[in-house]
Amino acid sequence: MKLEIKNVTKTFKEKIAVNNFSMELQSGECVGLIGPNGAGKSTLIKVISDIIDPQAGEVLLNGKKISKMKREIGYLPQYPNFFHWMTAKETLTFMGKLSGLQKEELTNSIPEILTKVGLRGEENSKVGTFSGGMKQRLGIAQALLHKPSLIVMDEPVSALDPIGRREVLNLIEEIKKDTTILLSTHILGDAEEICERFVIIKNGTKIEDTTITELLNRNSKNKLNVEITAKDQKWIDVVKKLPYVKEIEVIGHKVQIKVENIEKNKNMLLENALEHKVDIVKFEINNDTLEEIFLKLVVKE
Amino acid sequence: MNKFIVLIKKEFVQMVRDFKVIWLPIVFIFLGITQPIVTHYLPSILGALGGGQGITIDPSMTAQKGGEVLASTLGSQFDQLGLMILAISMMGIIQTDKANGMLAFILTRPVTVISYIAGKIVSNYLIAAFSVAIGYFASYLYVNYLFTDVPFSHMITALVFYLVWVLFIVSFTTMISTIFNSQGIIALISIVFLIGCRIIVGLSTVIDFVNSASMSKHAMEVLITGSVNSKAIDNALVTLVWIVLILFVTNYWIANKKFNHE
Repeated sequence: MKLEIKNVTKTFKEKIAVNNFSMELQSGECVGLIGPNGAGKSTLIKVISDIIDPQAGEVLLNGKKISKMKREIGYLPQYPNFFHWMTAKETLTFMGKLSGLQKEELTNSIPEILTKVGLRGEENSKVGTFSGGMKQRLGIAQALLHKPSLIVMDEPVSALDPIGRREVLNLIEEIKKDTTILLSTHILGDAEEICERFVIIKNGTKIEDTTITELLNRNSKNKLNVEITAKDQKWIDVVKKLPYVKEIEVIGHKVQIKVENIEKNKNMLLENALEHKVDIVKFEINNDTLEEIFLKLVVKE
Repeated sequence: MNKFIVLIKKEFVQMVRDFKVIWLPIVFIFLGITQPIVTHYLPSILGALGGGQGITIDPSMTAQKGGEVLASTLGSQFDQLGLMILAISMMGIIQTDKANGMLAFILTRPVTVISYIAGKIVSNYLIAAFSVAIGYFASYLYVNYLFTDVPFSHMITALVFYLVWVLFIVSFTTMISTIFNSQGIIALISIVFLIGCRIIVGLSTVIDFVNSASMSKHAMEVLITGSVNSKAIDNALVTLVWIVLILFVTNYWIANKKFNHE
């Protein structure tokens, strides 16, 4: 399996939603498509799942046009909206048959997939009575049912409460062992948890395509986080004068200190603090969280 | 072909769950029996209400032939209230799928647009034709009971002609439902256009030739005169051409994803 997105451009009236976007996806990968709201994530996902046609460029799966390869794609919409009058089992039968599955296959695979997504026992409940999390899980079930080689998910967890989110994340963690996944989200923590590779998109343009470890390494910059109590605020002025301190940033009781060499200077700074009898609450090496890196990437320019 | 069957089956299950298979035939049965009953009993009703002094009821009215009454069931009931009910019951045929994203969702599966549209039209036509036919039969029974007998062969021929017009109604409403996004607009356009077609029948022979509503007039003629108008077959063929054209436009609209308006 290989998914190629080649120079895809999609505009709505004057607004450019996706601008000359290219990327490749290999078998077994799990890629998170992240970007702020309105960055063009959903549009791109819709182009990939052949819901909308791009103005320029193409999407190929195994070298063939995506519109000819629908059998190989499992798509989970942002708000899976099934026929509310169908039961869970009927929904899966309907979607499965539309994907070309036979009745015999379905009688075996539907109970199996319902167990997998934790909807066992709800087979005969109407979809209209389902909660958001249950609908999302049913959505995942229908995307997996025909065993596609690629699963495309549009914001699979963004609309869910913490419990629903946890359930769905665990489920994705589970299914990613045997399929290739492309998912979009604007919640970094979720992407960090399930994906190894990130593609960051802003204003329809790809601004970053990297792995999480690389991103974190690249962004750790000799910084220390120190949290002190209010009475020791004057110590900050002392720190400012230290020769090895390059930069200092104060956010409430938290002080972010950039030093010349983290290995050598961190203990010196700690000693200095102890000398001044500073009441230390927290003392740590700063690693930018994914969120901070994301904000930096997206907000700059 | 397989997908087409799946989609038709889904439509039927939905109609059963919505009770459409029950209420639509019932509505048409009421429409069907109204005409013969009202025509027959109107003089007695007026007399019983006591407002009859000074009013002379044309005796030819109650002495109508059965065929004429059955024809006016088609012309005065089915082509007016019946047509509106059909259009309103089908205004969401594609529009609801567009609105809740199911259309896009279904099309992410290996399903051709043609089998989707065919599934919609065939299933909705079957229910519409069934309702019209059953209402018409009810009317036929009352007409035979209250007026003179209508020959069975005339009754069937007229029904076949009328069902061609119903097929046009279903296809046209489907196309409008594909193109427009508001149910109100869909119902309005469909009703105004279809009733408009029906009203202009008889104004000019040229328009009648391309007007699918002429099929309804031909059906009425069979019932009243007992003979088939030579233009009826031509009209049926023209109507089929219109339907193919309508299907083509609907298919074009969905296949080119014009229903995604963002």
